Amino acid sequence: MKTVVITGATSGIGLATARKFVGKGYNVIGIGHSETNCDRAKEKILSDYPEAKIIYFVANLMQLSEVKRVADELEKYITANCNGEIYALINNVGGVRSWYQTTAEGYEQQFALNHLASFMLTYRLLPYIEMALGRVIMTCSNSHKGIKMHWEDIMLKDGYNPLTAYKQSKLCNILFAEALNERYSNNGIRAYAVDPGLVNTDIGNKQTGGVVNLIWSLRKKHGVLPEIPAETYVHLCEQKTAPKGLYYYLCRERKFSREVTEENANRLFDLSEKLCGIKYRDLVVEL
Amino acid sequence: MNVFITGASGGLGRAIAAECASRGYKLFLTDINEEGLHSLQTGLERQYGACVTTRACDITKDESVDEMLALIDASGIRFDMLFNIAGIDYEGSFLERECRSVVKIVSLNVEATLRITHAILSRRRENGAFSLVFVSSLASLYPMPLKATYAASKRFLTDFAEALRQELKSKNVKVLTLCPGGLPTTEEAISGIAAQGFWGSVTTNRLEQVAFETVEKVQKRAGLYIPGAANRTLSFLGKFLPRSVIAAIIYKRWSGAQEKWLCTESK
Repeated sequence: MKTVVITGATSGIGLATARKFVGKGYNVIGIGHSETNCDRAKEKILSDYPEAKIIYFVANLMQLSEVKRVADELEKYITANCNGEIYALINNVGGVRSWYQTTAEGYEQQFALNHLASFMLTYRLLPYIEMALGRVIMTCSNSHKGIKMHWEDIMLKDGYNPLTAYKQSKLCNILFAEALNERYSNNGIRAYAVDPGLVNTDIGNKQTGGVVNLIWSLRKKHGVLPEIPAETYVHLCEQKTAPKGLYYYLCRERKFSREVTEENANRLFDLSEKLCGIKYRDLVVEL
Repeated sequence: MNVFITGASGGLGRAIAAECASRGYKLFLTDINEEGLHSLQTGLERQYGACVTTRACDITKDESVDEMLALIDASGIRFDMLFNIAGIDYEGSFLERECRSVVKIVSLNVEATLRITHAILSRRRENGAFSLVFVSSLASLYPMPLKATYAASKRFLTDFAEALRQELKSKNVKVLTLCPGGLPTTEEAISGIAAQGFWGSVTTNRLEQVAFETVEKVQKRAGLYIPGAANRTLSFLGKFLPRSVIAAIIYKRWSGAQEKWLCTESK
């Protein structure tokens, strides 16, 4: 049985995706940031699929210390219960902040949650993904287009805007996927970025305020159900030979921003390693 | 530039520390939260390659402060800048609060601030300019029912800073009093701002901007810094009303907002 790890799996796209994978007979490990939400999500899935193999871990992935803690727990669980293999890691967790707010490290929260959390978790779970010759999928967004990386002020301390921070973090997602492919596609690991489209979730209503909350409340009504983008994640995992594309929308490849270059991908990768205090290793086995 | 910051691992503390680190200042950070200090130190070193020293300290306790000062004296550090950021507030009316929490507001916001200010001013770098920042609050400008102790404690800081500024003028010390409105630092603070509706969002200040302006201003000029045009207008208009009237208006507005806020909290 193949194991899938999904972050931000208690609501919205993450929950719908977890449900789809359960339906396809995968072993699903979800991560959510509150115990109540995790219990509720698990109940929902079990009520549709009483035989489901689903377990949730609680972690506030915005904080690097929490990523490390939950990674320790996952390592133990996966070694004991999943043959030490992860077939797919879906870095779906994400959020919006109306204001400049920072994590314990002083990192801007959208950058930390939407990108660094995924960067750190992927690093920790890479050995298990390698065992399964697995796939890493980021929840990206078409809003990654039309923005450049603010290399001189990555945390947007000198001029914060919620949308700029969001778009940049989504550009980070696809740059990270690109960097992973450059490093590890020869080792049989593939990474993708998925554009879910406009989806009716609560992303813009959590821990935001005023304008962001209002705009998102109006905008999300035009969004599709999260079950629609969930198909794309399943599609990417169900293909026997890993698809060669990078960016997918509705199960099909889509054009991505011209900012997605090897240079930018490497620059972000190096910076993220520095900010997380880690060094991705070279994998030994080449295919 | 050697900078001393109290309450460094809170929201405003982290923002000020990041602002100073990005300018290449050397930091001595303190907070009661040791884990938070450690994380922040790591983050500032990674992000800015900053030179950071941290020491967890309960600044409401003489012994704890003395131990920290012994450490400072042993290494002979001298300072050019002090940010008094550590402070606390508890929601609820005076009688609803535990007596201990009410007293704690004064012992941290007032007593501890005096303790640190005295200690660090006595350890300033000789012959150089010194910048001293007190983080007061917009609340310090009025008597505030339902935040009575907090507002009064901040009032102490605002008045004390103004007087101290005169005493230290000839000694090349600039004193800045920061009086922000709401700062969106925590989930709790943000839900509080949301509960106040229109006035909440109007009086809310941008954290990164307040941090930048504070570090900028204290080196250029001293005095009162009220961030945000709306807050400046409110504080200006407030001067024309008797304090008893202001207190009555605030009570009316706050009791409604707090009810709403406590309601959403318990949901």
